[in-house]
Amino acid sequence: MTDEAAAPPLAGAIAVEISRGVAAGHAGRLLSTLGAETVLVEPPEGNPLRREPPLLPPAHEASALFAFLAAGKKSVTCDLTSAAGQAGLSVLLTEADVLVHDLRPDERANLELDEPTLRARYPKLIDVSVLPFGAFGPKVDWRAEEINLIHASGEGFLLPNGLAAELFPERPPLKVYGHFAEYQGGVVAALGALSSLVSRVQGGAESVDVSIQDATLAVGAFALQRLGDGSLEHRRTRSFKYGGVLECADGYVELLTLEERQWRGLIELMERPDWMLDPALSDSLERSRRGPEINRAIRAWAREQRTADVVARAQALGVPMAKYASPAEVLSGPHEAARHLFQPVEIPGAGRLPVLSAPFHVDGAALPLRAGPPRLGEHQHLLSTRRHRERPAVAAEVS
Amino acid sequence: MKPLAGVRIADFTLHAAGPFCTHILSQLGAECIKVESAARPDIFRKPHPVYGRMGPASFDQVASNKLSVRINLKDAKGIALAKKLVGVSDLVCESFRPGVMERLGLGYAALAALKPVVVMVSVSSSGQSGPDSHFAGYAPLFGAWGALGYLTGYEDGPPVEMRHVMDHSVGVNAAMAAVAAIYRLRQTGRGGHVDVSAREVACSLVGEALLFAAAGGEPARIGNDHLRMAPHGVFRTREEDRWLTIAVGTDDEWRRLARLIDAPHLLTDPRFQTRASRHMHRQVLHGEVEHWTMTREAGEAERKLQAAGIAAHVSCNMEDIAHDRHLRERGTVVDVEDTAGRERAALKAPIRFSKSEVGMTRGTPRLGEDEDYVFGELLGLSREDRDVLIDQQVIF
Repeated sequence: MTDEAAAPPLAGAIAVEISRGVAAGHAGRLLSTLGAETVLVEPPEGNPLRREPPLLPPAHEASALFAFLAAGKKSVTCDLTSAAGQAGLSVLLTEADVLVHDLRPDERANLELDEPTLRARYPKLIDVSVLPFGAFGPKVDWRAEEINLIHASGEGFLLPNGLAAELFPERPPLKVYGHFAEYQGGVVAALGALSSLVSRVQGGAESVDVSIQDATLAVGAFALQRLGDGSLEHRRTRSFKYGGVLECADGYVELLTLEERQWRGLIELMERPDWMLDPALSDSLERSRRGPEINRAIRAWAREQRTADVVARAQALGVPMAKYASPAEVLSGPHEAARHLFQPVEIPGAGRLPVLSAPFHVDGAALPLRAGPPRLGEHQHLLSTRRHRERPAVAAEVS
Repeated sequence: MKPLAGVRIADFTLHAAGPFCTHILSQLGAECIKVESAARPDIFRKPHPVYGRMGPASFDQVASNKLSVRINLKDAKGIALAKKLVGVSDLVCESFRPGVMERLGLGYAALAALKPVVVMVSVSSSGQSGPDSHFAGYAPLFGAWGALGYLTGYEDGPPVEMRHVMDHSVGVNAAMAAVAAIYRLRQTGRGGHVDVSAREVACSLVGEALLFAAAGGEPARIGNDHLRMAPHGVFRTREEDRWLTIAVGTDDEWRRLARLIDAPHLLTDPRFQTRASRHMHRQVLHGEVEHWTMTREAGEAERKLQAAGIAAHVSCNMEDIAHDRHLRERGTVVDVEDTAGRERAALKAPIRFSKSEVGMTRGTPRLGEDEDYVFGELLGLSREDRDVLIDQQVIF
């Protein structure tokens, strides 16, 4: 990537991250992968996520979560309660465009990182707070982990749906795997940072407040829309009338036919069984009414199918179907390989491993991961040296 | 002033993921011109029998705050009109299957030749390149392709379908990447093409599990368990279908919880002395916690746990959300008037700025509602020119 014309979108921008949690970490990671130099400020004992499971085999020293979130970042250690630590941070913030953090409002005040102080000392610095319930409001001091947040935002109550809800109707609602809500908070925090970067030219720097609850609720917007339509969504009643998760001979696939031509494709895929040729079933509303009956037949058929074969035939017929791919299958997928979704980087304590870059290409190519996660304090020199910033050449005056 | 004021979007997106991207950008201040045609209505305007929805699905959630024009993209003059619109826009967004924009003559290369400083955002199920790029898909398929669906589920159950949250996650990622490209455009004068793959967004939501698998680990469905924390889960309360989530991370929190639930004997039980041991015996432990939550109302238990500094929250349904005081005070949930004139709860874009504004200033546009402004003022078409195009079903 030496070609200046192909510089990634945030080339030349500098972000500083003070984080404990996944949301702020993901925001910093997105800015880093988009090209910003991103410096993770860690306490002397290291970011707590460095010790968070799962740990990478076989050595079980490095956290997979930390390695994923910190890939490409730089690391400095800084005791923010000491004068030296604060002076070091000040060097970083003087140069930075964005500070992403998950400090509570009381901690910010104690560390002199509150909004008025930041604005006075670093007038061009945009600060982005990402907290479970945001930086203001009645729940500002509430504690919350991922499982609490996904339920505070409504999606938890709505899961599982489909086959799992049918099989286990009495079980508690189910969270999405991993850190779904926190990742949402991270993406929204990055969006907030970037929006403020765009407006800074005219309006100056400002503070950005993101709540993981708000961010997760935003992606669940449809359920609130449905409430306005007069329907309170529930996990047991929002399943697809037919299709959905299907068990095949060697795994699971997802089938969803929303359009008429897709239903016709499904008839072909199932080799035109008599029941599907019933003229009444050419009416989509009738199919919806007879969903359970249709599902029994589709499920019986699916159990005879092999996933790779049936998905390939379905897609050739324009029938939306996908295999429930395991992580190992995703990692070895030819499509993912062709798009360079995973890029090998060195992970201290675990060796060279493929890490996901970003879920989008820019300028026709995957964004390059510049490095693996940093060693603790690997870039300590950044605290003491003032650097000349390398900015991309301005090719056009933009009003 | 909104942060993206002055950014204009020619919006060719359909369905949920792409339109949610431009909806969020419009709430951040971009002027979003939604291109539609009576000849090819958005599926979100039609009934969705598979969802059991017999009436037209309201698509306010993704269409509000946008301007609407009609352009028939099946007509060469429609394509010429679309290009004129691109000529006055900063950002072009689309979510057709890969290849469709090229066939229409509106692919990135063609538009960049027309206007080098254009930023284009394409949203598709598998991305613009790669052997599966032609695959058709919706939210549950994105989750299935991206391992998120495989990993979500009860330990002894099947994978779980991701629903609209998956589409909208794609939309937010696309919005974020779009603004990054707009930033570069403003800094350097360079446009570019952002190619968002929905299945890769699903992957990005389990990035750590994919890395764990790459090292030889075997991530699996674990229901509501956490890899480190216990107690951790969703617990019954005395109210029917009213659940409480609790997560205990530290020894200190554990001690406070044991005292709060009147079970100090647990603190001396050898099975619960260390975090690792509590995790190992979590099923027994969860039974003890539920023994307490079953005698409490969810809201009361939530408040007591929070007062003790323990992470807890009721499992909210949308009625709870619509009336939640915290979400109302943050301006996250707002009341809007829908196209039928009824008041309903809606969501403001989830970012609060200290200076900039954000949010909706208008509802869902009628099809073609803003053609006087867009075709007349922005593109400079006379009334007569427009009438001819309407007669020719170009504006249609």
